Amino acid sequence: MLKVTGAILAAGLAIATQAMAADAPAEIKVGTLYASSGRYASISMPVYNGLKLWADQKNAEGGVYVKAFDKKIPLKLVSYDDQSNTATAATLYNQLVTQDKVDLLVADSGSVLTAPAVTIARDRKMFLFDQTGTGASFFAKDNPYIALMADPASTVWPKPVADFLIHDGPALGIKKIALLYSTNEFTGTQANAFRQFIKDSGAPIEIVYDQGVPTETTNYTVIINNIANTEPDAVIHFGYAPNDIAFLRNVQDVGTKFNMLFCIYAGLETELLEKNVGAKGLEHVFTYVPPSEAEYPVNFGMNMKEYRAAWNKAYPDGKVEFGFNAVAGYTTGLIVEKTLAVATSLDQLELRRANFSLSGELKTLDGTYALDETGGQIGELTPLGQLELNEHDSDHVKFVSIYPHETATGKPVYPRP
Amino acid sequence: MPSSLKHLLFMVVPLVVIFAVLPGVYQNHLLLFNFVIFLILAQGVNIIYGFTGYLPFGYVGFFGAGAYGFAIMVMQYQTPAVLAVIVAGLVGVALGLLLTPLLRLSGAYFAIANLAASLAVLHFVANPALESVTRGPYGVALSGTFDPNMAYAAAVVVMALTLVFVVFLKNSRFGLALQAVREDSVSASMAGVDVVRMRVIAWLASALVAGLAGGVYAWYVSVFYPDNVFSGDFSIFAIVFALFGGVATITGPIIGVIMLYGIYNLIGFTAPQYFQLIYGLLIMGLVLFLPAGLVSLATRRGWHVP
Repeated sequence: MLKVTGAILAAGLAIATQAMAADAPAEIKVGTLYASSGRYASISMPVYNGLKLWADQKNAEGGVYVKAFDKKIPLKLVSYDDQSNTATAATLYNQLVTQDKVDLLVADSGSVLTAPAVTIARDRKMFLFDQTGTGASFFAKDNPYIALMADPASTVWPKPVADFLIHDGPALGIKKIALLYSTNEFTGTQANAFRQFIKDSGAPIEIVYDQGVPTETTNYTVIINNIANTEPDAVIHFGYAPNDIAFLRNVQDVGTKFNMLFCIYAGLETELLEKNVGAKGLEHVFTYVPPSEAEYPVNFGMNMKEYRAAWNKAYPDGKVEFGFNAVAGYTTGLIVEKTLAVATSLDQLELRRANFSLSGELKTLDGTYALDETGGQIGELTPLGQLELNEHDSDHVKFVSIYPHETATGKPVYPRP
Repeated sequence: MPSSLKHLLFMVVPLVVIFAVLPGVYQNHLLLFNFVIFLILAQGVNIIYGFTGYLPFGYVGFFGAGAYGFAIMVMQYQTPAVLAVIVAGLVGVALGLLLTPLLRLSGAYFAIANLAASLAVLHFVANPALESVTRGPYGVALSGTFDPNMAYAAAVVVMALTLVFVVFLKNSRFGLALQAVREDSVSASMAGVDVVRMRVIAWLASALVAGLAGGVYAWYVSVFYPDNVFSGDFSIFAIVFALFGGVATITGPIIGVIMLYGIYNLIGFTAPQYFQLIYGLLIMGLVLFLPAGLVSLATRRGWHVP
């Protein structure tokens, strides 16, 4: 009797295994967009190359482990070029969902090109792996079909710089701040959050200049003079990379010396800014410390050193700069991989459950992956650092982490000599 | 049978029926929706450029203003989406009225001034100081009215109305007077045509069309930034599509949109790496060999093209 039962069980198991193997797809289709040209190409291509590097690497290993089928399955990256055009992006996202029938939907980089995907993902009930679209309007309690992978929400970004000014600023003599920002969602939201942090703190700090300028601004000469007239102790500039390049160049051209100067992209796309502003122009500039400089301990995927080596091997021509966005694309790949390793099916809400279960547990080269209840990223923080000339190579700068104190690697140089 | 009735029966009705039926057989509804939007915008460009000769490089200004007109009505006054679309059209008209003095300019001067005006509207809408009204640069999310099916239906209705108006222009004394103004405003004026009135009416009709298109676009996409709805690509595409087919006709912009936007998407889906090369060559070929658009292939042979 036992033999018969054992045989039936074995046969049942064999049939079930075969059925599971038969149901498993030949490949997992990951759909995404990139912008090879246009306004967002400079942020989109590094992200896309990072994601592609991850997919190629996994396919070389035979695919990714998919728990739903208990086996490794190769990846197929289905990608289209939206050319930074949002109407085209919308059509292509829909193409990925309705015609290519991708298993996972990954947004293009940045909020503007992510926006069409948010609507489509929600409409088609697809969980959106939002790479770097930080727009506050994307995340709501009634929309379960989105999570932010590799960027903190815009409101989280400026907390370290605000905390530094609030806690350490008065002792250093920082009492008057000038706030200049580009009027787009990414930098405008950071400016709002920064202003609020300062106001709510009650610290003896006054914002003496507070001005938004169009993102297309390329000449800051008059603005710099206006800022200088308010005699600020610190100038905080929230802009995109082209804004930072123009702003820092103009600061050099005008010859104005600000005691403290903060720019976002001096840290995020340092190679790009070194080429366009020069190491000397970046010296003593405060900025965010990107994960590529922070060397976060990882419990999944390559660490920063390994990833940089893999990047240089995969893209030896150096046409796309290695930086914050390159890390973001690879991080998204890791989160997708881990999600597939946890999800018990490819149902979109199960993918969401699996993804959210990683919150606080997954540590990648981008930091700790942590989500709030709406899918906003709150784990991958942006410490404050300062750029100093590299003593061995004066054509390049190096990072000194300043705040929070626990992760600091040096003291701030203030006032700027 | 009067020619206007023929045009309605054999061109407008089939096109509307096709776009009403297509969502049932093709799933990428957003692609179909974009076709409808560009059919509307290309006809809007046709109204102002084809019939009056004013090339509106900043045509997207009306479109974006309409989108934000829709958004403000929904966000601030919780109006039903259909009413908000109508208001979007009126916002386009209001902006058109504001910009009427631009009609004193002509040629490249008008085109550049119109482009500058659209950028001014963009920066006005995206101004952080207006965050409480427009949400400034931070984008709008209109989840309360999100209904892609109804928005698509509304877009088809707007397309139908636009086509009916173009059929009217093509077959009426008013349209003929407009073309006379375009060819030689002094002679037209001497012949008793009220040049200023004619131009203003065409200008406002064109603005109304773009405003309505912006409204239904906002209804469909529901989450967008100023950069999305004021993207210069809308102007460029609408102008290129209209010119490719041939302006001052009913069929030209329709052919232009279906062929060129079709090819655009086909290349985008199949050979994105050659996207700009192929598209650029196509447009260069048009400019060099068919400056009056595809319909000129027929008109050169003496065939009548409606």
